[in-house]
Amino acid sequence: MQYIIPAIFILVFVFAAAKKVRVYDEFSEGVKEAVKFTFSLIPCLAAIFMMCELFEISGLSGGVTNLLSPVFSALGIPPELTKLVLIKPFSGSGSLAYLTAVIEEHGADSYISRCACVLYGSSETVFYISAVYFAGLKVKKLAVPIVIVLVSTLLSTVIACLLCKLI
Amino acid sequence: MNAVFTIIVIFSAVIIAFTAPDKLLSGLLSGAENSLKTALTLFCIYAVWMGLSRLAEKSRLSEKAAKAALPLAKKVFKTNNLKAAEHIAMNLSCNLIGIGGAATPYAVKAIGELEKEGNSFAQKLLFVINATSIQLVPTTVITLRAAAGSTSPSDIFLPSLICTAVSTATAITLYILYTKLNRKKRGK
Repeated sequence: MQYIIPAIFILVFVFAAAKKVRVYDEFSEGVKEAVKFTFSLIPCLAAIFMMCELFEISGLSGGVTNLLSPVFSALGIPPELTKLVLIKPFSGSGSLAYLTAVIEEHGADSYISRCACVLYGSSETVFYISAVYFAGLKVKKLAVPIVIVLVSTLLSTVIACLLCKLI
Repeated sequence: MNAVFTIIVIFSAVIIAFTAPDKLLSGLLSGAENSLKTALTLFCIYAVWMGLSRLAEKSRLSEKAAKAALPLAKKVFKTNNLKAAEHIAMNLSCNLIGIGGAATPYAVKAIGELEKEGNSFAQKLLFVINATSIQLVPTTVITLRAAAGSTSPSDIFLPSLICTAVSTATAITLYILYTKLNRKKRGK
């Protein structure tokens, strides 16, 4: 697996050189696009991060966690993981920090940590993606696709907790 | 997104006003600070991959990949736009090999291309696929577990793969069902 990325890099550079592409100029041009792209993301990143911060400070996130814990338990999701399941759709860095904490607390090979890892690895930051993908476009009515994604993610979370007991 | 944002911000702000009024501004500021830190991390990923993808584009390497993927793109995403197919192909392959960060710029480009033909079905389908995560190898998680002293860090590979597949398949099925139902309703 670790050879894939070096292989891609070497292949693209060699191929570009063979096709007489001005490699340095074009590479910097690509980075220029990355600069523009990153800047275009900052407004929605800032708004979402401020929202998450307020959600956390106000104690709402804790309240929602306590409220949903029994529901999640009934579905077979351990209460220790409720918060991770809830943070993941909003914030990649937030849930990564939480995942690290779970692994430290319970040990890397515990059931809780393995579950946490599987559900972290098999879900995405839904709200963040929807904001970034559709920033500045006219596409509306994203509610249904978002709900579909959340339902599917919940389903795979339940399966993750089940599978980690078996495998 | 507007509704979610408005509701969460207003509710949180009201509660904070009563419980810890001095924390409202500092919370907002630290949120803004975190957004810039994240932007910096993201920029590093994008700089590497968009530099590389520019080379792939100029050497017409990615065009070849796109031509191979076009029949599939036509069938699944209902698009004839070669440029869009190219971005979609690159987006999906980046996701599969576990470099999700590199996949994002392609998705945004593809959605921009699809916007030109008013193909909102494909735009949302691409979103649904990306938002349910289609990673083959959960690189980050395996690295984390190895660092924490796991005896077999990659034993979560199989469950992860199954879960990813289940969520993506469910989401695609639900979304296609939804669009079909919607069309029927409009037909009546």
